[in-house]
Amino acid sequence: MVRKNKGYITLFLLPTVVLFIVVYAVSIVILFGTSFTEWSSGRKPVFIGLANYIQLFTDDSDFRKSFLNTGLWVLLQSTIHVAIGTAFAIILNMKEFYWKFARTVYMFPNIISGAAVGMLFLCMLNPDFGAVNSIVRLFGHADYAQNWFMDYTTAFFSVTMTWLPYAAVVTILILAEIAAIPESLFESARIDGASELKIIFYIILPMLRNIIGTCVILAGTSMLQKMDIIMMTTGGGPGNETMNLPIYIYKTALMENNFGYSNSVGVFLIGFGLVFVLLCRNLFRIGSSQN
Amino acid sequence: MKKGLGVLKYGFVLLIVLLSLGPFLWVLMASFKTNTEILNNSLGWPSSFRFSNYVMAFKIAPLSRFYINSVIVGIFGTLLNLLLLGMAGYVLARFQFRFKNLLMGAFSLSLLIPGAAMLQPLYLTVNTLGLYDKVIGLIIVYAGFGLPVSLYILSSYFLTIPKGMEESAYLDGASFIQTFFRIILPISKPGFGTAGVMQFLLCWNEFQFAIILTTGNQSRTLPLALYYFKSQFASDYGVMFAATMVVIVPSILVYILLQKQVVSGLAAGAVKG
Repeated sequence: MVRKNKGYITLFLLPTVVLFIVVYAVSIVILFGTSFTEWSSGRKPVFIGLANYIQLFTDDSDFRKSFLNTGLWVLLQSTIHVAIGTAFAIILNMKEFYWKFARTVYMFPNIISGAAVGMLFLCMLNPDFGAVNSIVRLFGHADYAQNWFMDYTTAFFSVTMTWLPYAAVVTILILAEIAAIPESLFESARIDGASELKIIFYIILPMLRNIIGTCVILAGTSMLQKMDIIMMTTGGGPGNETMNLPIYIYKTALMENNFGYSNSVGVFLIGFGLVFVLLCRNLFRIGSSQN
Repeated sequence: MKKGLGVLKYGFVLLIVLLSLGPFLWVLMASFKTNTEILNNSLGWPSSFRFSNYVMAFKIAPLSRFYINSVIVGIFGTLLNLLLLGMAGYVLARFQFRFKNLLMGAFSLSLLIPGAAMLQPLYLTVNTLGLYDKVIGLIIVYAGFGLPVSLYILSSYFLTIPKGMEESAYLDGASFIQTFFRIILPISKPGFGTAGVMQFLLCWNEFQFAIILTTGNQSRTLPLALYYFKSQFASDYGVMFAATMVVIVPSILVYILLQKQVVSGLAAGAVKG
């Protein structure tokens, strides 16, 4: 286009640039800058070099536990969660009579807010009247009934179960990708006498490499900001059993007013996420062409 | 062998459906029960379908206030995001200019920043701007959070529009702004629909920033209403269940109505490397 558009280009970009600066750029500058300071609300930040980071790694068991939990949840989410979603997509793709219903219902826990999911499970797992304990008692195993979210042995598992099986987003993404595989590929495989299982393992799965890699990244990184369900159900407890990095950041920043320290955890969280994304991109060779 | 596979397949689907629907149906049923019924007959049907728990939920908590806030934040957070990102996405998809790569790089980096890392810095920014505990603060922050996804969906949509459309508009004497609002916007409806649904869901469900950027009940949104119920009415189970349903059911109804748009939105929102 030959017209002079410079003014309009600026006009169209400016609001988004301002938004980006207000929400992201300023935050990142504050985050990095103050992570080297001792700073609590109402005071001026005082530069203390690497002291925050040194304390994080040498003398902070809550941080270690939060890091460990976050890592474990990222691992579970990027493996089991993605596997469940993928398996479900492959089954739904066979388009049997129930598939539309199953797909719709499967979306429910993924479309409502995390706070609501947390509330549902808080009710389901309530020690007094929750459905899970009631079923356990119904089968005469009253001694297995317990306070799932507040018991040290079951808390981590209970919290994990509020998101691990709900992989509808993975299912949708994989279904869309399977639909893009040319039908002729399946036909010729069938003519050659390939079984359903062989088609899945030798045709569908290899062609899904890129999208599965994307799902692993999306599912894994979603665990780097998981807060709503944990806040609703356990609040990170009992003790620090279900604490993760976001909850830890929230606690140190807004409950203990320890801003500098909390921001060093934030910097660590960003670094952790970058390493994870780079690792996945290499592992799944995302970006390179198929095969 | 083949039969075993079939059983495994149906079993898997049944389990998934049960896990998704079970908690929801159980809470729905319990929302009609009295406290004693909940405690003594946790798995059975309610003795009658009374709505008193629902009436109470609205009476004792500012549920309607939370609702109005959520609707306002959802609608304006989405409109602001779509307008700004539509304009930026169009320019980025169509024109070459200095700093373009730098801008694109910066925008896509925002995708790699977990929101949780920005909790305290954003709290500070919003506070300094005088937007703490104001609905407008949430609107701006959410419009910003939707930046990477909306930009991705919208600019990939703009790339599919043939350039000839704009060229003939220019020849007919339309200005840059007229071309964008009269030609590009109307034909990009599907793209805006997809980005809009994604953005609306973000605004509607967001929790962690809602809780640190607001206080009291004046500007809080629905996800926080549940948090409120959890602590305030921990012993009034029926009311708690009713409030949960009041928050969940509209989301599900809207989802069923907009199913196609949501599904294509999720598929388009995947960031392909």
